[in-house]
Amino acid sequence: MDSDRCARLTAILARATGREIAVASIVALSGGASSATFAVEALRDGQPWPLILQTAAAGAVPEGSLSKADQAALQMLGGRHGVPVAAVVAVLEAGDDLGQGFVMERVAGEALAPRWLRAPDFAAARQKLTGQCAAVLARLHAIPLSEAAGLALPTGRVDTARERMFAHYRSFKVDSPVFDLAFAWLAERCGDAEPSAIVHGDFRSGNFLVDSDGLAAVLDWELAHLGEGAEDLGWLCVNAWRFGIWQKPVGGFGERAELYDAYAAAGGARVDKARAHMWEVWGTLRWGLACLQLGDDHVTGRIPSVERAAIGRRVSEVELDLLHLIRFGDI
Amino acid sequence: MTEQVEATALIDAVAAFLGEISPALEGRQAFHAKVAANALAIVARELAQRPQAAEAAALAGFLGHNAGLDALRAELCGRLRRGQVTPETPGLVEALTAAVAAKVAVDNPRYATLARINA
Repeated sequence: MDSDRCARLTAILARATGREIAVASIVALSGGASSATFAVEALRDGQPWPLILQTAAAGAVPEGSLSKADQAALQMLGGRHGVPVAAVVAVLEAGDDLGQGFVMERVAGEALAPRWLRAPDFAAARQKLTGQCAAVLARLHAIPLSEAAGLALPTGRVDTARERMFAHYRSFKVDSPVFDLAFAWLAERCGDAEPSAIVHGDFRSGNFLVDSDGLAAVLDWELAHLGEGAEDLGWLCVNAWRFGIWQKPVGGFGERAELYDAYAAAGGARVDKARAHMWEVWGTLRWGLACLQLGDDHVTGRIPSVERAAIGRRVSEVELDLLHLIRFGDI
Repeated sequence: MTEQVEATALIDAVAAFLGEISPALEGRQAFHAKVAANALAIVARELAQRPQAAEAAALAGFLGHNAGLDALRAELCGRLRRGQVTPETPGLVEALTAAVAAKVAVDNPRYATLARINA
């Protein structure tokens, strides 16, 4: 089975590159809810060529996520505009019989945020990271929407997105007064702006590859959509991505003022603090719905898992963060 | 004593068993054993602290009448959805903070926001 997959991937890579390819192994790295990631050891013209294969878990892409082909295309688009990404090598086609997916070069770096956030040898990298994140987001948000016209990026006005998120919450048939409070608070503030930028949608510490120079690559583009750039800034500051280093609001490594200043200095819009705060509440609530989703996976028996059941109990953390954000203006 | 082996004694026994087998586990199973031990600790705290009573008391205090917790939650959510209660309604955020603090003290008592909100 495995040698069969290696042979198929060899053919795909040879087709995509026109070079002499040999795939030696495909090893599963992690199985997320919607994607599966594999380390691929290949030879290109006899030289070692470390790659990553990302496929849709169980062959399906959940609603609200990009197809793998669009994800690959968007990653390349970002790369052309100066966003550090892994170079896409090949996109799987229907006839390849490996499901949806694409192959990219394996970028060296540390992906485990709890490690690079704390290890002394990443201290210099952490110093640079806030400015790098700001500059990368400014470049991404400056890409003309016309360049993404061929991609099926989810889109819609901000108030419509809030309504969609509320319907998602109601689908769990759970009554959380704090979540309803947060939805009402957002309704008073979110406005009805049309999308103005490509939003990464999952720009957080856990989706960075970090090396000694800081941000080496931005991973996981599957939640990208059209919206307001400040959404990415708010999501980056959600408490859950600080991995316990809550005193550093930007991803556990930086300060908001530095992030906003660097974003404007790199060509991004001047950040309105009230607007950024609105997006932090939005992002925190979105993480809360993800916790509800994982708990729901377990209690409905769809994906029985002690891990998902336990994450379901993190809803109360999110509720407390929301109350702190709404009461005191930050977290 | 209603039972010779109380629920808390069962929890302790299972926690000890998990501690016994976890050194032999690897990777995903070792991680899940740690998660399972944490889940058991939540159950133990929930039995001891009864956060649902604290939450019901906080919600009943805000709404002005008693009912079961599910009914109180549903009523408050319904009022928020209809705009009869808003984020600005006096006493709402304070009541919800008391309710949620009781839950976090059970789910994750070391969560930093809990200490910050109680400070």
